[in-house]
Amino acid sequence: MDEKKKAVRAYHRNVGIVIGLILLVFLIIPVFVKSPYILNIFVLVFYISTLSMAWNLLGGMTGQNSLGHAAYMGLGAYASCLLITNTGANPWVAAIFGMIVVGLVAGVIFYPCFILRGPYFTLVSIAFGEALRQFIINSSFFGRASGIGLPFGKDSWLDFRFGSKVPYYYVGLVMVILIYLLMKKIERSRMGYALRTIREDEDAAAAMGINPTRYKIMAVVVSAMVAALVGFYYACYIRYIDPELMIQAKSTESVLPAVVGGAAYVEGPLVGGLLMIPLSEFLRAKYSAMLPGINMLLYAIVLLIVIRFRPSGILGWYMHSRVKTFIDTKILRKPSVEILEEVEFSVSHGRKEA
Amino acid sequence: MSTFLQACVNGLLMGGFYSLMGMGQNVIFGAMKIVNFCHGEMLMVGMYLTWLLHQNFGLDPYACVPIVAVIMFFLGAVIQFTLITPALETKSFTNLLFLTVGLGLLLSNGALVLFGSEYRTISTSYSMTYINMGPVTMALPRLISFGVLLVVSVALFVFLKYSTVGKQIRAVSQNPVGAEVVGINTKRIYVLTYGLGVALAGVAGALLTGFYTIFPTAGASFGFRALIVVVVGGLGSIPGAFFAGIFLGLLETMVALFVSPSYSDLIVFVTFIVILVVRQLIVIRRK
Repeated sequence: MDEKKKAVRAYHRNVGIVIGLILLVFLIIPVFVKSPYILNIFVLVFYISTLSMAWNLLGGMTGQNSLGHAAYMGLGAYASCLLITNTGANPWVAAIFGMIVVGLVAGVIFYPCFILRGPYFTLVSIAFGEALRQFIINSSFFGRASGIGLPFGKDSWLDFRFGSKVPYYYVGLVMVILIYLLMKKIERSRMGYALRTIREDEDAAAAMGINPTRYKIMAVVVSAMVAALVGFYYACYIRYIDPELMIQAKSTESVLPAVVGGAAYVEGPLVGGLLMIPLSEFLRAKYSAMLPGINMLLYAIVLLIVIRFRPSGILGWYMHSRVKTFIDTKILRKPSVEILEEVEFSVSHGRKEA
Repeated sequence: MSTFLQACVNGLLMGGFYSLMGMGQNVIFGAMKIVNFCHGEMLMVGMYLTWLLHQNFGLDPYACVPIVAVIMFFLGAVIQFTLITPALETKSFTNLLFLTVGLGLLLSNGALVLFGSEYRTISTSYSMTYINMGPVTMALPRLISFGVLLVVSVALFVFLKYSTVGKQIRAVSQNPVGAEVVGINTKRIYVLTYGLGVALAGVAGALLTGFYTIFPTAGASFGFRALIVVVVGGLGSIPGAFFAGIFLGLLETMVALFVSPSYSDLIVFVTFIVILVVRQLIVIRRK
């Protein structure tokens, strides 16, 4: 028993070391990388991946394929920017305000749309997003099509305003990690199980006593609030927003990392984002002067190849590949499933007795 | 009054295109229950094909229509055969959705890479000709296009209603398993259906070139309106799609006339949301 326990403990330690190393790499990147161009790519990776994780909660986990997440992101950006410019509120307060506004819009105005299923839900999400965008274009309060700029000034943490990209890098990194932990928490909670049951069969879920509407609303509100947070981050980073932020192409762009990475996994958007966004940005910087659109063209080709040959995404492939077996046994020294379960059982059992 | 009549005619002429796009989408959605999110991009491909034919062989845009239809049919058939049929077998709605979304990205960005983002037009000897009918003025190309698409719509209706293949398509739409049982090769029908739907989008694109600018994202608004037409007109109904398209065209021009042109998109989308929700409520009530 002791030997088994030791093996399990060693495995957990190894996993911890690997995660720690990955974190350390991300923490020290800005120390060595001074090029604003590279840092900008990382910032893009952070916020697009976060948006993709937000989408994944609704799309990958609950099976409600929204194609209107850019609208939530844009609305969040608008709500926080308007609060800042009109009342001079602190940006961090405005971030929370933006999230609440978008959460309310998603939970209350979008509420009737929850009776729609499958393709109809996708259609209504597109129409809802586009209607929001058209509303903003036509409203002078929202600055119409010309957008809103945030005030410029000295660097300060209080105003979340910097000339350098390094602070944005770290805030983005913290955002990705926090949202990842939140999604992981949701996945393992009662809500996560309910959402996955709804994805598999909504009627069966209802028959089992899961209220599909309630859980779908929870999923869409959380998802929209995270998108609003990303919107706030984007607005503070770019310091200017306009309705172009909410066009449908942006919604699609936010979904692609999740689908390429593996929509069934919480880590999918992160993997997809880390692989696809730097590639796309590299192509854009290198060739867009000669061949505009080449980056999205390649993106589309990768997407089609993944869907055609690896329908469960890169992570779905990895989970059943020899690479994973190799890493698990040789590097992490993962004990067999039986041993893991036995030790876990004895630990939880022991706790109960004590 | 004359402005009103003029707006009606403009709405009618534009609505015809929404109808044609909606019919193509309807055939595809009916048979396979998948939303073709690259339908608008197919229209754009049809426009560029027409432009290429006009540029290289000096063909009249309207003479290009049958050629474009044939090319687009084969394009659609190949896409269905190589990409969509295998994805249909995975039974994953998410994958099918992003497959067509990905195709749309591929086509619009492919056009951007190949042709650049410049706006292109095809000018013919009659593109500046206008016809006066009482208080109403109509551009000749719009009128010809509308006439052609009326013919195409009727032909499609007759084809689906009376031809063997049309009957098979309708059978697969109603019950694919039952269709298999009575000896219909559903995979073949899927290939034909997708080809047909894409060809209709291509025809719409070819007909548009007479008076519309050609650019890589020209199809986006038509693509989404086609979805509205399918939902409003009812699944599998060709006359329904036709009238829904006309209704949509009229709605747009009426809002532009009586409210403000900048609100027409907003009203269209909100109307669509309301129709979707109300329709679903009726479905639930019936159960």
